[in-house]
Amino acid sequence: MFYTIQHTTTFRYSQPVRESVMELRMQPRSDGVQHTLSFQVRLDPKAVLSSFRDHLGNVIHSFNIPGAHERLTVLAESLIEMRTIEEPPLAVAAAEWEVIESSLSLADVFDMLLPSKFVYSTPLLGDLIARLHIRRLDDPMSTIRMIGARLYEHFEYMPNTTTVDSPIDDILTNGRGVCQDYAHVMLAICRELRIPARYVSGYLVQQNRNGTASAVDQSHAWVECFIPSIGWVGIDPTNNLTATERHIRVALGSDYADVPPTRGVYKGVGEQVLEVGVKIQRHDSLPTDEALLPMQYERVEMPPTLPVNGSRKAAPPVPLDIQIQQQQQ
Amino acid sequence: MLSRVADSLYWLSRNLERAEHAARMIDVHLNLVLDESSSTPLRQRRERLLYSLWMQPTPQLLDDDYALTQYVTFEPTNDASITETIALARENARQIREQISSEMWTQINKVYLDIKCASMEEVWGHQPHEFFRSVREGSHLFQGITDATMNRSEGWQFIQLGRYIERAQSVARVLDVNVGAILEADGGGDHYVQKIGLLKSVTSFEAYSKVYHGDLESRWIIEFLLFNPSFPHAVRFCVEHMNLALREIGDETGVSKQSRLYRCAGRLNSMLSYDMVDDVLDGDLHGYLHDIQHLCHLIHEALFETYIAYTIESAS
Amino acid sequence: MARTTTRTVSQPFVNYALEAGCYDEMFNDDGAPRGHYATMYERLLDLTAEELRYRQSSADMNFLHQGITFTVYGHEEGTEKIFPYDLLPRIIPSVEWHTIEKGLTQRITALNLFLHDIYHGGKIIADRVVPFDLVYSSKHFRREMRGVDVPRNLYVSVCGTDLIRMPDGRFAVLEDNLRVPSGVSYMLANRQVMKRVFPKVFANYGVRPVDYYGQALLNTLRHLAPNGNPTPTIVLLTPGVHNSAYFEHTFLARLMGIELVEGRDLLVHNNIVYMRTTAGLRRVDVIYRRIDDDFIDPLAFRPDSILGVPGLFNAYRAGNVALANAIGTGVADDKAVYYYVPAIIRYYLGEDPILTNIDTYLCNDEQQRSYVLAHLDQLVVKAVGESGGYGMLIGTQSTAAERDEFRARIQANPRNYIAQPTIQLSRAPCFIDGQIESRHVDLRPYILSGDSVKIIPGGLTRVALRKGSLVVNSSQGGGSKDTWVLYE
Repeated sequence: MFYTIQHTTTFRYSQPVRESVMELRMQPRSDGVQHTLSFQVRLDPKAVLSSFRDHLGNVIHSFNIPGAHERLTVLAESLIEMRTIEEPPLAVAAAEWEVIESSLSLADVFDMLLPSKFVYSTPLLGDLIARLHIRRLDDPMSTIRMIGARLYEHFEYMPNTTTVDSPIDDILTNGRGVCQDYAHVMLAICRELRIPARYVSGYLVQQNRNGTASAVDQSHAWVECFIPSIGWVGIDPTNNLTATERHIRVALGSDYADVPPTRGVYKGVGEQVLEVGVKIQRHDSLPTDEALLPMQYERVEMPPTLPVNGSRKAAPPVPLDIQIQQQQQ
Repeated sequence: MLSRVADSLYWLSRNLERAEHAARMIDVHLNLVLDESSSTPLRQRRERLLYSLWMQPTPQLLDDDYALTQYVTFEPTNDASITETIALARENARQIREQISSEMWTQINKVYLDIKCASMEEVWGHQPHEFFRSVREGSHLFQGITDATMNRSEGWQFIQLGRYIERAQSVARVLDVNVGAILEADGGGDHYVQKIGLLKSVTSFEAYSKVYHGDLESRWIIEFLLFNPSFPHAVRFCVEHMNLALREIGDETGVSKQSRLYRCAGRLNSMLSYDMVDDVLDGDLHGYLHDIQHLCHLIHEALFETYIAYTIESAS
Repeated sequence: MARTTTRTVSQPFVNYALEAGCYDEMFNDDGAPRGHYATMYERLLDLTAEELRYRQSSADMNFLHQGITFTVYGHEEGTEKIFPYDLLPRIIPSVEWHTIEKGLTQRITALNLFLHDIYHGGKIIADRVVPFDLVYSSKHFRREMRGVDVPRNLYVSVCGTDLIRMPDGRFAVLEDNLRVPSGVSYMLANRQVMKRVFPKVFANYGVRPVDYYGQALLNTLRHLAPNGNPTPTIVLLTPGVHNSAYFEHTFLARLMGIELVEGRDLLVHNNIVYMRTTAGLRRVDVIYRRIDDDFIDPLAFRPDSILGVPGLFNAYRAGNVALANAIGTGVADDKAVYYYVPAIIRYYLGEDPILTNIDTYLCNDEQQRSYVLAHLDQLVVKAVGESGGYGMLIGTQSTAAERDEFRARIQANPRNYIAQPTIQLSRAPCFIDGQIESRHVDLRPYILSGDSVKIIPGGLTRVALRKGSLVVNSSQGGGSKDTWVLYE
């Protein structure tokens, strides 16, 4: 099957900002069952896009907007082909625990055991592991299925209880959060049990398409764990699923900090408000005509990007007769 | 050269000139106060002083020379006070310490340390005149050291530019604030003192006397302060040197002389080179003085847009 | 002056202590001056303490006049402080220098190959010569650099390697510094001044020059230019006036005639780096960067850094600008990786190391760790990522409480610690309070890797000015000496 994806991000600034430098991680991956047939980005204001591939095979686009602007819109459109995914087995051989150990000499695997910005051990994590009786089962596959299921049962999915910066202790304390938090906790637990696990940023296509506007396609996050005989197995703890054809993978990393859909720095004191809209259409055959669908927007409050040189004060207008040129510090 | 360095050199120079000017003005004011023959009420004189320095009069400052002096010299909340401007000058110098000679740095640092150690009580208790004189001398010494030790490069030109824009704008401002009063007072002995005060506050009394001898007619005063081509505190002299510096910088950097910066600077230059005092007096004197200040302001802004804070698109 | 077999102590050497178990640079075991020190010895006998003191104060004045000061930028009073130095040069004969040169060339060549390997194919890891977990868990291993090509495959253009002379007279490597090594300005300053302190002796000896360093460094940087551009625009990127090495940044920029810039002077537009000048934006091709990886680009690394240039790393990745040194070199001067450098040399070059390492115990290894914990009072323990003498325990001079603290630290994070036996550094004559006394010294030669490896003859000899101290870092009571490598 095929998917067309439209991902629109609008940044609005309370005062004009300039010299904005940004990276995008929005191009879906081409590996495994998923293949990106086309991808394009439209920017307003216009800018020149460069791209590169990082060591994990993520495609990253970058651009800069030098002049003053109060709004920036990024529209990313992709067409991907998704083949059927075989459901992974319920369990694998117990010997795979050792194979994991010997695979650690591969940098890509070893990296996913290391603590990272959002994923590290805390006393609250230890408490949770104890309380939920999480431990290594006979084999790694049943273990990760178990972890996903336990987290799904234990936490409550509730938006606006955590933020994009939340450490795992937030959801561990309140028991509520969103997919990013579920994924971070699962990563922490897997790494605690020495199962290499990585963060997947992508989209989840909604199940019911009965025409109502209530279910909005969203950016989604889940994890992939290293099971040597299979590869990186996707587990979605937020929905208690293994990754399906509805899980569209965009970028991989150690945690959210590695793969935010947008990351940027700008100069100015304006505060940033972010609006994101995602629309995904499924097609059974290759679509020849990609009509833009009306988007439903979800307003997201972003913590302001740290302004660079934000100390330049914008002087309020002063009447000419008592105007004196003061140096802007 | 790096835009940031040009920026710092310009502001170093401009702030120091500002401090020197304020020191001179408050010093002259305090001396005039001692002269009771002036008929202008003290409050009015204090108000004019503050307006000349772009500071806002408040009842407390208009009532009391001590408060006034403290505000102009030491007040930390006053961005244009002498201590604040000297601190800014020194901070700018520190940021580009390697671009100026070590003697220049030592001198500006000394000026800063001297004023940091000074206090209002001490100054008021001893001879305020001595204190303000030392501030002026510190500034003069810095200028002399700069001229003796710094290469006549782009950097030096930015220092000249800062000094002369500030001076041109300040002298025009002082004239603007005071000229009404001296014009009214022509012929009356009362204002003899006031006219001398005006000239002294822009260092011009002795130089003026050489040209116009004892004649303190306001017409000549205005002519001297605006149009004299040889005296360093006359607006025309300042503007000519501004243009010289801009021309050198332009040659060095290859910037077009058709740009707004050069057009404004050229316009100001011709105003002062070709206009005559009689025409100006017959016309709108305040308007004229206002135009001078406005052009200085435009030149300052255009300077930044052209050399320092230009946008990337315009730079390509 | 007749030399006898028994040691006759002449003024001003009365207080000069020869320590057993420690190599003395100037005197051999019989108390006679070594061949290459003979002329200097004679000269010192001729000079009275007064004359030496006089020379010391003219040297002081010299340093002051040249503006060679340190840690002044924090001072409110504006008083300048001369950096600590010692009057008497340390002399190295040509034959010894030859070995050092060959050894360092071998070492830097291997380290550059190592860095290229671990950021690309990782063969040395696949061949299990260096443990993978050590490399990948190093704080300074930058994943972003995996697969990134650097100009001429040169990761380390400027390196400062610290050497010490063992009691048996051999030179050994204490550590490599290949992120942002500093101190070369003091080396140059020392030479300027010392030539005037002992002009006749200097001339008689035939000392190899060091003042071509600026030109050599410039050529090294030029060598990295993108597209082989023969006239690249080169800049020195400094964190600014508050940095303790700022003096050196300005000194070197002036020496090479390149622009000294801060992060805010640069910007990246369409993946190309420019600097803001009054004549418009000027493209930058090579950056000699004296800012750590962490702070160099708020987009790629620490987002709270205001010292860096947003987008610089992407421009670097695209090959539009060269950085000296490359991003991610810190993994090769990680003290735990140091342990493997002899193996690294053998692996890439098929040669035995000419300069050896000092015996090192890796706390990451269980067996070695238990040895270390049992002998903390005899060993020097160091944190792998620190420098400047911090994060260090000198066992022989420690209290029980300090040892307990380190024991806990090692057990909590063993990967982060190594230990070495307390080595008696060699000692050299110093002019202290009117007498000539011996103090411990080390040596930091500076290695430039351009189209060939160039090592400046000598480098910085650091001296532990405090009596009995083994710590030579300037931040902790150390000073420096001029180093004379002879033509013969």
